[in-house]
Amino acid sequence: MTGLAQAAPLRRRRPVARAVEGQELALVAVIALLWLALSVGTDTFLTGSNLRNIVFGVAAVAIIGIGMTPIIVTGGIDVSVGSMVAVVMVVVAKLIRDSGVSAPLAVAVAVGLGLALGCVNGLLVSLGGIHPIIVTFGMLNVFRFVALRIFDSKQVTGVPDTLAWFGGGQAGRGLLGIPNAWWLAMVLAALMWCYMRYWATGRHWYAIGNDATAARLAGIKVRQRTVAAYALTGALVGLAGCVLIGSGGLVQQNAGTGLELQVIAAVVIGGTSILGGRGTVLGTLLGALLVGTVTSAITLLGWRSELTELFIGLFILVAVGVDLVRERRRSAR
Amino acid sequence: MTTNTAAPDQTREDRPAPGRERTQWTRAVRFVLSERVALLSVLLVVVVAWFWFLGQNDYLVAPYDADYLASALETMVPLCLLGLAEFIVIVSGRGGIDLSVGSIVSLSGMALGFMVGEWGWPVIPALALTVLIGGILGAINGVLVAYLGFPALIATLATYYAYGSLALLSNDKAPISTKPIQDLHSLTRALDLPVVPDLPLQVLTFLVPTVVVVWLLVNRTTFGRRLYAIGTNDVAARFANIDVRQTRFRAYLAAGLLSGVVAVVTVAQFASARPDAGSVGNGMALPAITIAVLGGVAISGGLGRVAGVVVAALLVVWLNAGILLAYEGSDGSQVQLFALGAVLVLSALLNAVTLRRRGGAR
Amino acid sequence: MTTAEAPPVLRLTGIEKRYGGVHALRGVDFWLARGEVHALVGENGAGKSTLIKIVSGAETPDAGRIEIDGHPLPAGSTTSALSAGIATVYQEPQLFGELTVAENVFIGRELRRAGVVRRGRQHDAVVRLLEDIGLDGAVADVRVADLSVAEQQLVSIAKAFASQPRVLILDEPSAILTDHEIETLFGAIRRMRDSGVAVIYISHRLDELAQITDRVTVLRDGQVVASRPTRELSVRAVAELMVGHTLATGQVRRTVPDGEPVLATTGLGRRGVFAGVDLAIRPGEVVALYGLVGSGAAGIARALYGIDPADSGTVRIDGAVVTLRSPADAVRHGVTMLPANRKVQGIFSTKSIAFNISSAHLRLLSRVGLWLDRGRERAVARDFIKRIAIKAPGPATLVGNLSGGNQQKVVLARQLVQRPRILLLEEPTQGVDVGAKDEIHRIIVELADAGSAVLVVSSDLPEVLQVADRILVVRAGQVVAQFDRGARQADVLAAAAADVGPRAAAASSPTTEVGAA
Repeated sequence: MTGLAQAAPLRRRRPVARAVEGQELALVAVIALLWLALSVGTDTFLTGSNLRNIVFGVAAVAIIGIGMTPIIVTGGIDVSVGSMVAVVMVVVAKLIRDSGVSAPLAVAVAVGLGLALGCVNGLLVSLGGIHPIIVTFGMLNVFRFVALRIFDSKQVTGVPDTLAWFGGGQAGRGLLGIPNAWWLAMVLAALMWCYMRYWATGRHWYAIGNDATAARLAGIKVRQRTVAAYALTGALVGLAGCVLIGSGGLVQQNAGTGLELQVIAAVVIGGTSILGGRGTVLGTLLGALLVGTVTSAITLLGWRSELTELFIGLFILVAVGVDLVRERRRSAR
Repeated sequence: MTTNTAAPDQTREDRPAPGRERTQWTRAVRFVLSERVALLSVLLVVVVAWFWFLGQNDYLVAPYDADYLASALETMVPLCLLGLAEFIVIVSGRGGIDLSVGSIVSLSGMALGFMVGEWGWPVIPALALTVLIGGILGAINGVLVAYLGFPALIATLATYYAYGSLALLSNDKAPISTKPIQDLHSLTRALDLPVVPDLPLQVLTFLVPTVVVVWLLVNRTTFGRRLYAIGTNDVAARFANIDVRQTRFRAYLAAGLLSGVVAVVTVAQFASARPDAGSVGNGMALPAITIAVLGGVAISGGLGRVAGVVVAALLVVWLNAGILLAYEGSDGSQVQLFALGAVLVLSALLNAVTLRRRGGAR
Repeated sequence: MTTAEAPPVLRLTGIEKRYGGVHALRGVDFWLARGEVHALVGENGAGKSTLIKIVSGAETPDAGRIEIDGHPLPAGSTTSALSAGIATVYQEPQLFGELTVAENVFIGRELRRAGVVRRGRQHDAVVRLLEDIGLDGAVADVRVADLSVAEQQLVSIAKAFASQPRVLILDEPSAILTDHEIETLFGAIRRMRDSGVAVIYISHRLDELAQITDRVTVLRDGQVVASRPTRELSVRAVAELMVGHTLATGQVRRTVPDGEPVLATTGLGRRGVFAGVDLAIRPGEVVALYGLVGSGAAGIARALYGIDPADSGTVRIDGAVVTLRSPADAVRHGVTMLPANRKVQGIFSTKSIAFNISSAHLRLLSRVGLWLDRGRERAVARDFIKRIAIKAPGPATLVGNLSGGNQQKVVLARQLVQRPRILLLEEPTQGVDVGAKDEIHRIIVELADAGSAVLVVSSDLPEVLQVADRILVVRAGQVVAQFDRGARQADVLAAAAADVGPRAAAASSPTTEVGAA
């Protein structure tokens, strides 16, 4: 009687599921190389203010990405987050300005509102049986409409800096001089990473993305978990809204347009498979950081800012291309 | 199955026969609900009649009459053509979608701007080249999706960024609106027609011919057959000796060509080649996808008709035109957003329900 | 053996099941003792899968009782079957690729503390579980996607075992495994049996039965024809019981015209699927490749059609060496193929009959290869509807609305638009009603009479005996025996199902022996 280990074709080196994925290590390496090169190549890169700008610039994208990751892991997508952010921002900004609500209340409203909007998406996706991209494309319009009605054809000006703790200014600077917004992103990402790795309900997201039918047969509450992912993203959109209002001042009517694509780009660059079943928030955080670094580098090198988007496009292709090659190797065995 | 006795072999796998006592009326409702073109046509009549009624009773800021409807067709041209582009890639299946159509419009429009506006090339070859450039950009999508196996959503998200960035870079974010470009506006002037209301010229010169060509392409050519075949079941298509990758590649190529046509129309209409033509607001891809889905194109591929897309575009355009008259200031454009979104979600819900009815159509 | 005296864990009495006009089970009595491995064998369509579906609650019987430990089990409920301790492992592993083996075993019923998965405990439990049944405990933390299909199969058996079942149903677990992996599987099954689990073991490989099972129940035409201790039965006896002593009905006597083979292969192989296949088909000849599930017979047809190309050996068509690397290559040389899985590989269900038939002949049915000639397309479809009796109102009927048999005829019609010189048919009558089956067989013979060379790949023995002029038996990726028309069912089955050696198979009437394994 032979065990599995002795069986000839089973003897090959077997990759054990690791805490950190190859793609994440590769991203760390790319970011480190970029930072090194930019520190040597420019005088202004390795300065406190520049590094603060980089991480603050992508904090909102990273925070939303923390929710977008489980959505994409379950095989879904949410392209309405940009409009959701606009709704949250205009409501909270007006509340702060007109009713003078306190910071905790403002945050609670933002998160609660985001949660509600996310639930709408989640319920439509899980109960309506409609493809998530269609639902959220539609809701992108509907939410934008809601935001514009609340804007009432005027941008919101003179917003007090109640939420300065989240902002990019002096008051938003936290531990080690790092902006609170980025701390928030890191802490939330760490919590989410643990949740998706160690909690049973977190692991269920992966199972749903692998095979939703088999997951249902295994007793996983597929609908409930799906709604949870969209609702969670909504809540995180609320927090991202707080970051974007940040130091107060002005909220424009086009707030949040195009944000959804930046978030999806960060998630995809971070190694999450758009087909579902695979991905981590650590990757998403790194993906956002890479995008921020490139944006900063292009400015510092005096290149034209429009190049940023070209690079984002290329990074998406490279990240997904590497993954495709790896998958093909795996299935060719 | 209503029979208690064992049914004969043959009917076991057949669809359950519909009840015999179904009335004429319920059958008509069923038809309208399951035939998307019929449903949209009914809606179209309702929308036009409703706004006409409002106009007659002075609820609108301007009359909702035939001339107004004809001039509104101006906005239908890009919407309908890009809707057809999305129709073709979505029908090709395997999560087909093209997010980059707006960026293709921007970039090939800028190319037209340079060719005609800066370098003074003759107009006709430049127009053809613009469409061709759109085709090349679409072909890049096609290679990524069909031959390299990228998910369509990802590939076209990447090229949405890349093409859009190149369009902005090409003239340092500035539009090109030199004299030769402004002269292109004559391509889109309003036609002075006898009897019928004045139509925008591009409806006759661009929209109608392109719709006819696309209709012929998908309904009368072997390519159309292959397109529907790979979208319905690409494994079966492979066993039927259909070149699945080549067919899928050509779908993205066609979407690029159509975007190139839209670039020409857009530049002419605004008398200016703008680097952000395809990305202002929410961009052009979103409304185009909305039109396609509203027109009955199943996101799972293989199902959808040209007529559905065209009627859907007409419905949205005339609905939008009515909304503009019903509200003052910017309220109208906001309500348009809501209408577009709500219509998309509702039509997708309807698609899901009818597909479930039809059963096994996945 | 003491198992016979123990009270039965599972007892079925008088189980009846009809599907429409098909009487799938006719009063089946079956009992399973604690700690026994009980083989359930029978030809395709004998009722095995219906029976296990009823036991696992996936189907409701029309009549009869199911008792577990003497208590009646509510019929037609998977959940009550599961909670009564009946676990089923199907051929397709139902696992989640991105989760580890341990996570898969515990999916949906994780060991948790405040929601957190107790990974350590799960890991230990799974290592113990795997080692208990003789597998390598080190795979517990490997992602399932990184395992081979065979390993995944063993993991899904371990997973079923983890629910501590009283009855474990294994549906052809060995079909895709190599000999070595089968040894591992048997070790696992023996240890489960020793821990008191009663196992229902479904298999087509009769030579395995003696190694692993204690009792054999043979089903034929929905009835139990025998239920005896395995040691009382030889492979040959089981095969006889399975097929009965009836001769295949309506065998056609026909003479194959002499001539050079139109298709000939030498040493054809594809790594891990089949190897060293020599075969030759003459025009007008019907050759059958008969093999059980996983034998590699289907792979040979797929290689000849260029879907999964061969990687060794040569193919000659009309004497000239050809390369077949894609269906386009095959079609160019006059080869067409009817795929086995109608729903997945065959039909375009939301499209019309005309669409489905014309899809492989678009160039032929067009003007200058571009414009579809819809008149001719419809005419061709209408012609086939008449010629091969497709029951449909007209060429515009959607194929998804037809019965299985008529869908299959539509796919077959697609292969016949241009009379094929070489026609490959994989399981041509799978899931087709009896009437359509006969008609399809008639069409096959007609095609051969008209000069086509036909290769039928089938695991349906009566079908093979009925249509084939020559039968090649495939086992473990190799052609192991050859029979002419008039071969006895039991001989062919024995050759395919068991490594009984050329001599045993030669006992009755094989004409030639082709390189045995």
